[in-house]
Amino acid sequence: MTQSSTIDPEAPAAASPPASAPAPRPAKCRRSPKPPSVLLSKAGVTALLGLATLYTLLPLTWLLLSSTKSREDLFGTNGFALGDEIHLAENLDQLFAADGGVYLRWVINTVEYAGIGALLASLFSVAAGYAFDKLAFPGKERLFSLVLLGVMVPGTAMAIPLYLLAAEAGVVNTFWSVFVPGLVFPFGVYLARVFSAAYVPDEVLEAARMDGAGEFKTFCRIALPMMAPGFVTIFLFQFTQIWNSFFLPLVMLSDKELYPVNLGLYVWYSSALSQGHPEDYLLAVVGSLVSVVPLIVVFLMLQRFWKSGMTAGAVK
Amino acid sequence: MLRRTTVALAGSVTVLALLATACGGGTDQGASPAGKTGDVTFWSFVKGSDEVAKAFNRSHPDIKVKFETVPSGQEYYSKLTNAVKAGTAPDVAVVEYPNLPEFASQGKIEDLSGSLGPLVKDRFPKATRQLVDLGGKTWGVPRDAAPLMMMYRKDFFKQHKIGVPKTWNAYRTMTEKVKKADPDARGGVLYTDNPGLLTALSWQAGGQWFKAGKDSWKATVDDGPSKKVAGYWGDLAGKDLVRSLSTLDPFWTSVQKSETVAYVCASWCAGAHQATVPDQKGKWAVAPVPTWDGKPASGMYGGSSFVIPKGSDNSGAAAEFIKWITTDPEGMKAWVKSGTSSMFPADPKLVPVTKKAYGTEYFGGQDVYAVGADSYKSIPSGWTWGPVMGTTNTAIVDELPKVAEGKADLPEVLSDAERTTVEHMRQRGMKVTAP
Repeated sequence: MTQSSTIDPEAPAAASPPASAPAPRPAKCRRSPKPPSVLLSKAGVTALLGLATLYTLLPLTWLLLSSTKSREDLFGTNGFALGDEIHLAENLDQLFAADGGVYLRWVINTVEYAGIGALLASLFSVAAGYAFDKLAFPGKERLFSLVLLGVMVPGTAMAIPLYLLAAEAGVVNTFWSVFVPGLVFPFGVYLARVFSAAYVPDEVLEAARMDGAGEFKTFCRIALPMMAPGFVTIFLFQFTQIWNSFFLPLVMLSDKELYPVNLGLYVWYSSALSQGHPEDYLLAVVGSLVSVVPLIVVFLMLQRFWKSGMTAGAVK
Repeated sequence: MLRRTTVALAGSVTVLALLATACGGGTDQGASPAGKTGDVTFWSFVKGSDEVAKAFNRSHPDIKVKFETVPSGQEYYSKLTNAVKAGTAPDVAVVEYPNLPEFASQGKIEDLSGSLGPLVKDRFPKATRQLVDLGGKTWGVPRDAAPLMMMYRKDFFKQHKIGVPKTWNAYRTMTEKVKKADPDARGGVLYTDNPGLLTALSWQAGGQWFKAGKDSWKATVDDGPSKKVAGYWGDLAGKDLVRSLSTLDPFWTSVQKSETVAYVCASWCAGAHQATVPDQKGKWAVAPVPTWDGKPASGMYGGSSFVIPKGSDNSGAAAEFIKWITTDPEGMKAWVKSGTSSMFPADPKLVPVTKKAYGTEYFGGQDVYAVGADSYKSIPSGWTWGPVMGTTNTAIVDELPKVAEGKADLPEVLSDAERTTVEHMRQRGMKVTAP
């Protein structure tokens, strides 16, 4: 699958530019457009995509198969083979019964952190992006570069300063300590500005103003619906980001009832084998499978918007 | 670049501060006098912690312990460090022995010499005491010790007429015989994700990686005994006489599939083993860990202690709680209530308590605690963990997977780890001498 496997008869000529350097007549010896390299041929691209698909699906396959196994089979059988018996139902029962049903609590927490958080974050981002695009106010570009700076700072780097701040404010180990940081999404603001420029023609706004709509009404009734695909894209971005965020909840939370699902799973996983309760290991495996489901559902449901959002501004 | 980041940080930070203040709701509890009453927050990842907290609350109506589960591993220690920095640390926290000096030397935990020092001096053997005493002060109270032992498949050894090795020479012969008897089976493991066992075996051989002086450290990670041990295991791994596996599911898979038929581990492994591989009941036995000269000697692989982080506002009650969970028979009973923990108490007087709770059917009625007790007694004193064990361990772990392929030489890995460690210690402003 490497480039060296090229079997192009014209390759030697093409591969030695110094020889053809003094002759500036490239068009002559070109019967047809230069054949693309093997990597870019149809078969090559398909194969590469196939590899990428495998890379994505293999862990999921392992997860799916392992979730159906009993604990003995989990360690006793091949990771990509079925166990002797299908234990999925028992495993799910155990998962939702473990520690007084704390898993369900974690899932609900995550849905709150990621779902409500991303919804509000998208709303704020779209409003801010729209304002940056359509409204004129002093210091606009300077403020916007501040937003861009915010994009550059990785979320993990913010976790410790946020934690110290939250401690100062006395909200460590509360719902808000994880929820509030999720509302700030500079990249979303940047995207929203691009979307606003692409989707909302100035003429429409002018018409709305002429008809007597106030700024706020114009945004809510005219601009927001027009930016719906952008809204969904931003929502999905932020939703996955909060769903996957690990370090922030790790430092902020110590009450198990407040954990998001990934942190809870990590607690099970990290001490399962070293502390000698391997049943938690199986729980972590099954719990991981269940925790993937909402993400898949959200993506499938919002796929149409997501796709149209991805190509927004491509043709303009 | 730095300035830009600072601006961005400051910007976002202000936003959050506003939001955070808006959301209000202070959870600060008023500082209470250092009496032995009130609320105690307790962080732990150790099995049975919830039971212990519950039992303590039942017998101590004046103190209310609130237990919070935390993940184990490096993540936990960074969480604890940040909590101390932010002033939101719990009143009691678990800290494993290797991590204790780091917390002590950075002033992240309270000096317990006054409150619990006499207890530590009274109850624990010297080798264990030296793990929590540093610079003449007591920083934590030991809960469990983790003396080494060897697990082996009785049935396999009997069937192939393999003797239980008493020395490392014999152990090597054993691994050869195992491989000959069954090409899929091996008689040992070199863990690729945890240097703890290798360290414990260096300790057993008489190695001393660190020494804390009055105001300086001595680092000798690659001293003679440690190099001997590293050379031995590197050789076994290189010749494929022991497997190179991660301590997590790859290891347990190999046990479940009867591909690992003997391994060196600590006392707690017995409980973990029987819980993880329940269907091999009756097939396993425990033996003293082999030694270099045939005379009993051991080391510690694991074990935990309890500390009071700096900033605790109820250290009086916290000390009372720590005392109960480490040295009170009732406290010890609560730890092992599940009946499947083979935890070995650091206080030798409490061994009968844990022994009584532990069911011996899995190991065919064998007295696992007797093996543990002999092993515990033979741990040489003088071992001290370093002040940047995270760095030391990472330097070793990064190379461990390469040892079996011959891409890394284990004794040299130790020398490199020492260099990295000394560098890091100097960066932190510590005085270090390394030969």
